[in-house]
Amino acid sequence: MNNGLSRRSLLSLGAGAVAASTLAACGGGGGDAGGEISKDAVKLRFTWWGSDARHKRTQQAIDLFTKKYPNITISGEFKEWNGYWDSLATTVAANDAPDIIQMDELYLASYAERGALLDLGTAAKHLKTDGIDPAALDTGKVDGKQYAVPTGVAAYSMVVNTTLLEQYKIPVPDDSTWTWDDLKRIGLEVSKASGGKVTGVQSWGFDAGGVNIWARQAGATLYDASGKVSIPPAVLAGYWQYLLDLAKQGIAPAPSVTVERAGASLDQSGTATNTSAFGTWWNTQLTSLSAASGQQLKLLKLPTNGQAAAAESPYYKPSMFWSISSRSKHPAEAALFVDFLLNTTEAGEVLLTDRGVPSNSTVRSAITGKLADTDKAAAEYLATLKVGAAPRVTPNGASGIEAILKRHTEEVLFERRTPQAAAESFIKELQTEIDAA
Amino acid sequence: MSALGFVRKRDDKAAYLFLLPWFAGLVLITAGPVAASFVLGFTDYNLIQPPRFNGLENVTRMLGDDRLHHALGVTFTYVLISVPLQLAAALGLAMLLDRGMRGLAFYRSAFYLPSLLGSSVAIAVLWRQIFGAEGLFNQFLNLFGLTGRGWISDPDTALSTLIVLNVWTFGAPMVIFLAGLRQIPVMYYEAAQVDGAGKFTQFRRITLPLLSPIIFFNLVLQIIHAFQSFTQAFVVSGGTGGPSDSTMFYTLYLYQRGFHNFDMGYASALAWLLLIIIAAFTALNFWAAKKWVFYDD
Repeated sequence: MNNGLSRRSLLSLGAGAVAASTLAACGGGGGDAGGEISKDAVKLRFTWWGSDARHKRTQQAIDLFTKKYPNITISGEFKEWNGYWDSLATTVAANDAPDIIQMDELYLASYAERGALLDLGTAAKHLKTDGIDPAALDTGKVDGKQYAVPTGVAAYSMVVNTTLLEQYKIPVPDDSTWTWDDLKRIGLEVSKASGGKVTGVQSWGFDAGGVNIWARQAGATLYDASGKVSIPPAVLAGYWQYLLDLAKQGIAPAPSVTVERAGASLDQSGTATNTSAFGTWWNTQLTSLSAASGQQLKLLKLPTNGQAAAAESPYYKPSMFWSISSRSKHPAEAALFVDFLLNTTEAGEVLLTDRGVPSNSTVRSAITGKLADTDKAAAEYLATLKVGAAPRVTPNGASGIEAILKRHTEEVLFERRTPQAAAESFIKELQTEIDAA
Repeated sequence: MSALGFVRKRDDKAAYLFLLPWFAGLVLITAGPVAASFVLGFTDYNLIQPPRFNGLENVTRMLGDDRLHHALGVTFTYVLISVPLQLAAALGLAMLLDRGMRGLAFYRSAFYLPSLLGSSVAIAVLWRQIFGAEGLFNQFLNLFGLTGRGWISDPDTALSTLIVLNVWTFGAPMVIFLAGLRQIPVMYYEAAQVDGAGKFTQFRRITLPLLSPIIFFNLVLQIIHAFQSFTQAFVVSGGTGGPSDSTMFYTLYLYQRGFHNFDMGYASALAWLLLIIIAAFTALNFWAAKKWVFYDD
């Protein structure tokens, strides 16, 4: 008889089932966010996206924290923006999400509404938010609950390489008056002066910030208050027509080069490699860009379309957020770490403005003296910008907007769709995704 | 009798014991998720909240999903072009190597190597570099005064670079062809030569018919393999299937629905549709095989 064997195999299957259900149980509950900080060894995982400069600074901040709390170890998992969200979705789905998650405005509602993030209100004992400007803090709320705290604020900007302009004897434009037509004209001068080696403008059309600003300059918004797509097709078509003009007139690189760069990291962009004189970026990326470029880069306000609405089109974007996985086994320790990153001058002095001009006002004033020139310039840019009300948080379901945007930009640049047709298709597709979520 | 029974039982035990790790792997890693995906195919499941049954909604959704239809088109194009090219290259090289050249073992390994690497991330990254706007391929073209383009970032050529990549991994079918060629008795060729048959006639009348079971085997395997291609397109397009969906393989679309759009119910249904498509292609292959595959026994 082979009873012995089958009993054993049954046992092992049984053990497997028990293990599986234990795992599931861990998944459901997570630890107690309001509990005491453990004295035993605690391991936390922390994930973020960014450039080399950010990885170094973040690692320094981690080291400072673990020196203070030797029983807590934190392993960093850092990636490029493009791979970050795939990896996050996969680990969350596999019930293996990192404890501390760098979050973006695009994805906040998607993750929060599905219950993947910890309500930070439950961790208030360890994570204080009273030093943060209430308006900024509100950007991390979904359905009234604080799922994320902003690390800082950023604003969309035009980065110009003044070394290149000087080399071609082209004056830096006055950004208080310039228009999109001026950008075309100056960009063309650069392309001509360099003999094609350097293009005037690095084409955009792959990030939501550019569309937001374009819509706001025309007095519209990307989403209305109820979360419906509200940008008029004609406005969006104008946006793509402009990008198409840049490519066709040689002001921006050939479409295939543009597409290639859009898929690469910041360090390989036209701005970072000094192959485009003008490029749109978030102001806080200036330091990373300057480090990669090695030349003089300067922040300019975006050109306008000359309409009245353009005056208040800039806005403060929460540059990114800290959030904690709802399934973290050590939410109290994770909250303590976020508190350290957010509210201590020690961490602030290391991180500086890499994740936005710090949202904690004490930290902000403490580090002002220590800022490098590029960080100072980023802070000054924010201070001088005239901003309007922040746009609505990206609705649940619309976190894929940049993929949809990218595909339509590609279709326009390769002239597979007219700007008008692309605009209509984009709006329809984005709305479908929002409705389906 | 009883003694024999005892021995057999002992053998059984050992066999089962050795099978156990594999069996546990099959159940927990493969069969379990396969069964789960079948059930999930009839649900709306966002990965984090519990799935919700929605009947055949996913199926009706497939009918109206333009991007799915586009992904099917891209995948069919890829399979139908790359597999025949790959098999032709494999057969051609196998015949070259079969002529008994010196250092055969070395060449066989060298040509086989890409098969091992072809679906790896490293090669896909390498491909990006080779066919990028400033890549090796364009530098090569520059030598002849030609200006290339970003082959991978241009929707007109992106899929072709992936087809080339797949053709390049001809090693596995080549080795099988080589083994098959070795099985063909030399006397057939000698007899044909005596009868005055040229090289081409020998190939058409002797090699092809006698090799047809091997060709069939390779065809079935490579078609299945090509339908499942994922890594190459994923890495080369940075996970987007771009530019403008030109490399949107079926598997990549499935992945995007599941992991980018948190649409795992629909993605599960898509996985089963792919299974049905591959099964249909394989069945078609077996049916057609009756007309052209020649078995020597």
